[in-house]
Amino acid sequence: MRASRGWIITILVFALLSALLLIPTVAGDALPGWWGKVFPDRGIRLGLDLRGGIFLLIGVDTEKAVDHELNGIDDFMTQELKSEKILIKGSEIKGDNLTLQFFTKEDLDKGLKVAEENFSDRADINESDLSLSFALKGSYLDDIQVRAIDQVKQVIENRVQELGLVEPSIQKAGADRILIQVPGASEKDRQRIIDIIKRSAVLEFKIVRDTGADQDVLMAKYGVKSPDELKSQGLMLVPGDTGTENEKFFIATSDSPVTGESLSDARLIFDEYGRPAVGFSFKGEGASKFGALTEKNIGQRLAIVLDGTIKSAPTIQERITSQGRITGTFTTEEAKDLALVLRSGALPVPVTVEQERTVGPSLGKDSIESGMLSMAVGGVLVIIFMIFFYRLQGVVADLALALNMLFILGFLSAFGITLTLPGIAGLVLTMGMAVDGNIIILERIKEELRLGKSPVAAIDAGYARSLWTVLDANITTLITALILFWFGTGPIKGFAATVSIGIISTVFSNVIVARVITNLIYQDRKVPVLSI
Amino acid sequence: MDLIKPGTHIDFVGKMGKAVLLSIVLILISIGSLIYHKGPNWGVEFTGGSEIQIKLAKDVGTEQIKSTLDKAGYPPQEVQRIGLQGDNEYLIRFSADLVKFDQIQSFQKKLEGIMSGNDDFKGGSILRVDYIGPKVGAELIEKAIISILLGCVGILIYVMLRFEFAFALGAVIALVHDTVITLGAISVTDKEFTLTIIAALLTIIGYSVNDTIIIFDRIRENMKKGGRATFDEIVNDSVNQTLSRTILTSSTVFIVLLALFFLGGSVIHDFAFALIVGVLVGTFSSVFVASAIVIFWRKKKGMTV
Repeated sequence: MRASRGWIITILVFALLSALLLIPTVAGDALPGWWGKVFPDRGIRLGLDLRGGIFLLIGVDTEKAVDHELNGIDDFMTQELKSEKILIKGSEIKGDNLTLQFFTKEDLDKGLKVAEENFSDRADINESDLSLSFALKGSYLDDIQVRAIDQVKQVIENRVQELGLVEPSIQKAGADRILIQVPGASEKDRQRIIDIIKRSAVLEFKIVRDTGADQDVLMAKYGVKSPDELKSQGLMLVPGDTGTENEKFFIATSDSPVTGESLSDARLIFDEYGRPAVGFSFKGEGASKFGALTEKNIGQRLAIVLDGTIKSAPTIQERITSQGRITGTFTTEEAKDLALVLRSGALPVPVTVEQERTVGPSLGKDSIESGMLSMAVGGVLVIIFMIFFYRLQGVVADLALALNMLFILGFLSAFGITLTLPGIAGLVLTMGMAVDGNIIILERIKEELRLGKSPVAAIDAGYARSLWTVLDANITTLITALILFWFGTGPIKGFAATVSIGIISTVFSNVIVARVITNLIYQDRKVPVLSI
Repeated sequence: MDLIKPGTHIDFVGKMGKAVLLSIVLILISIGSLIYHKGPNWGVEFTGGSEIQIKLAKDVGTEQIKSTLDKAGYPPQEVQRIGLQGDNEYLIRFSADLVKFDQIQSFQKKLEGIMSGNDDFKGGSILRVDYIGPKVGAELIEKAIISILLGCVGILIYVMLRFEFAFALGAVIALVHDTVITLGAISVTDKEFTLTIIAALLTIIGYSVNDTIIIFDRIRENMKKGGRATFDEIVNDSVNQTLSRTILTSSTVFIVLLALFFLGGSVIHDFAFALIVGVLVGTFSSVFVASAIVIFWRKKKGMTV
């Protein structure tokens, strides 16, 4: 039997491809400029645990998006019915439900009509007694949540990109999480990244009615006991952070005709005293809305509300259309970051940090070194072991093992699979198990020789009879690796991917590569004794 | 070179009774240890909480780190030395109910202050900070259990399709056996049950089945040959015929695992430990437990060969 030329070429092409894919990993920045134009210039991607960096899992409060939706319906109904001189007695949001209470049956009927005209596509509307309930439809609920997470991802992407970091990666993780990875980020970057990501950056403009140092005293002036009661007067209580003792609380209009969504730009500026501040400008419609708001309220104070707190409340001197600024007690850095988050837009719903992992660059370096060392030592021991037990055939198995490792690393590089520390462990383990296929085959060949077969016949029989054993054994292992890949996250996924690729490449190396090399050695030769 | 002399005939089937007894004892110890320790010692990945890995210039000792942090107003749940003695690396752990995300942020600033201001801690650095919210942890436990169960089901189906039910049963019982005993070893040595340990357990499952299948494959082949041998004799022959392979492969895997265990660094240490136990138990169960189950089941069903 001859070594098939087709297989020899296939193996050589694989080896060459793998080597080409790996050159950037080894050479790093030393590659000449033309390399990237002809060959891939990215090598094996190292995980955060190996190169250091930040890994953040952000939970998105999609329930809040549902709340916003129901609040929107509530506001719309209140406004719409107000124009028909109908007052709503009260409203309540519970889970996915909004209930409106009416004073009379007549009001309820009119309310039902308005509701059905506007919301029957997204909510099931039911009446009972003197109340009207809206239950959001399942498909619409999903929609809201998907939209919320997409928006959050977009906003975070804008923000992180503007920080000018190298290779940040932002992905959706499940239905309500976002995974952010910033490799190589320093300790100093870390705090800033987290602050910038968590910042809601909801900017609103309201008109100030009153201020005070104590909220109870302030509310008593308006004859109410709780902030909720202010709602019926079209007002609300907002905490203030303007640095003045008697301005701890504000009463301001509850509607905000202009919000941060209308901003066209925000940037760091310095006010007349040289203090850092944030300057902003509006785009088209926002500018005219802002013009109308300021024109109507000349002489009043304009509350600039950021994330629910009044940051500054300048008195409106004249109609302003396009420019404004937020002053406060900022450092330059803070003002710069605030401008950044305003530019990138508000988070539609709040987020929480659910998992954080920061790996310092020195740990990463240590891990690579110890990983490589254990791989080298393990590899050399296995190679010696195989030659000791199988002589020339051991050398063949070792060659197949070396090619196997080359293929696996080439694969990792080709598919952009991130190599993590558990991944390196997976590689070391693969090395231990990779020779198993060859051991099975070689033991089989020995058995066949003992039965008195000629060397070539024994090789043929050994490979043929072991094929399914090797396949069965590896397919079962592959099943567990794939399940691990499916369910795993982060470093575990990397481990599973490495092991899966390892198994496939190992079967190829055991069954094809070792066979082809063996055939090349014994091709057309009358060998009296096999070196095994 | 032959490891096992051709014609070697060890009566494995005859020793299966004693082997199974040993397995039962090991399983009871494992379960006993898990009950005594009130379940696995879940790592922060599962319970939620924080872990900070630091490296100090001096060998300060866990007690001093603990008391310094107590005084600073951040009592840790545990301070543990990791890696080798000269590394001076420590893991400081806070439980979930103690630490919110913002707290760990301010703790880190405090720790940096301590490490630059205190003579004993001077020159230290923070290597790694891990924070895991409690919600993520609960989901991870669920996922881990599902992936192990699914792994078993996948193997059960594949082996059933390729062999017959008795073999699938033997393979799955053997892998459950290996998983439980490895878990027991982790519990007895009071090691932390982390996400990497889950990866190790799944790898052990894969290895255990791999090892078992090779013996099964030979049993099936010998069954097809016919002849007058009883099923017990077939099993015995098959185990003997594959014995060199079993020992050689286990040895190569064992060699690289030892390399990982001693040289792989602090993060990989426990992973390598779990795998070493798993490979030893897995090899044992492939030879004794899996085949014993097949023999038992086939006798129960009245099958001869």
